[in-house]
Amino acid sequence: MSVLAFLMRNPVTAIMLTVAAYAVALALHRRWRWVPPLVAACIPLMALLVVAHVPFAEYNRGGALLSWWLGPATVGLAVPMFRHGRALRNSLGRLALMVLAGSVVGMASAWLTASLLGAPHAVAMAAVPKSVTTPIAVEVSRELGGVPEITIALVLLAGILGASFGVPILRLAGVHDDRAIGVAIGASSHGVGTASLVRRSEMQATVSSWAMAASGVFTSLLAALLKLLMR
Amino acid sequence: MVDFLRGVAILVGFNMAGVGVHRLGVPLPSGVLGLLLLFLALSLGVVKLDWVEGTAMTLLRHMVLLFVPLTVGLIAVWSVVQRQALALTASLVVSFVAVLLVTGLLGKALLQERVEDEPGELKQ
Repeated sequence: MSVLAFLMRNPVTAIMLTVAAYAVALALHRRWRWVPPLVAACIPLMALLVVAHVPFAEYNRGGALLSWWLGPATVGLAVPMFRHGRALRNSLGRLALMVLAGSVVGMASAWLTASLLGAPHAVAMAAVPKSVTTPIAVEVSRELGGVPEITIALVLLAGILGASFGVPILRLAGVHDDRAIGVAIGASSHGVGTASLVRRSEMQATVSSWAMAASGVFTSLLAALLKLLMR
Repeated sequence: MVDFLRGVAILVGFNMAGVGVHRLGVPLPSGVLGLLLLFLALSLGVVKLDWVEGTAMTLLRHMVLLFVPLTVGLIAVWSVVQRQALALTASLVVSFVAVLLVTGLLGKALLQERVEDEPGELKQ
């Protein structure tokens, strides 16, 4: 037991265990497609912390070194945005308008619904950036005073909703245009939704990954504005 | 390997630049500032797409690994999640459907006239 506790506390071994859990989760995901890698990687690590009585904060001394790389990964989103922006040049203005509308509606409706159902400030604010890609959502949540861990769970679930029900709902609403579908999925369910489009249509996936990056930028701009207004 | 490390250096460098600009008082997340700066540099041709493309796509592909520690942190806030389960679920579903329909239907209205050769779909 104390060996386990040591391994989870020491930053180097904590990182090694985290990477190992991720590798196993990826292997499970390759074998059974329906296994979400993030969930499969987290469950054994959570179990280890509980069994070994290690507080999250101690595990996170190593964990934070991994989380740090979310910054450079966010910067990397410039690559799909730049690459696809060139290909989409003709309709870029209209696509941006759609993403902007989606960001406003998404942030407002998430906050309003949570608040009406009695969620405290930190929980309602955690829901606000739930449509955008995790590294940006976490930062926006922190800026607004939300609980970042809750934001991550909501972001993951929004991705799963989008990948499972996004296209069927859009079809029911009579949306058939590839670019409209791409923007709607990218703006509502970020990378997870985008990944589900890759096998359907290249145009949808391309627009979707552009929309995911753009909605991250718009949402953080809107959040900054909101923060100024809240002061 | 050298190409990959060059990409790492550029991404980390732009991230640091983002942190710097954020510290100067710009109220955007430092990662987003770095993203915008790199986008600008790519648009101006200061940074070539080749230099960062491979590294960026690798990082993005394995981004799930980078979320793992934060997600494990859910156990630290678990009691809050349980107490607010209804509000969180409702907020998630309502907002998800709202974003999807607003962007999708707006797209339908804005993009329709330019649809060139969409095959006539008979599905409802």
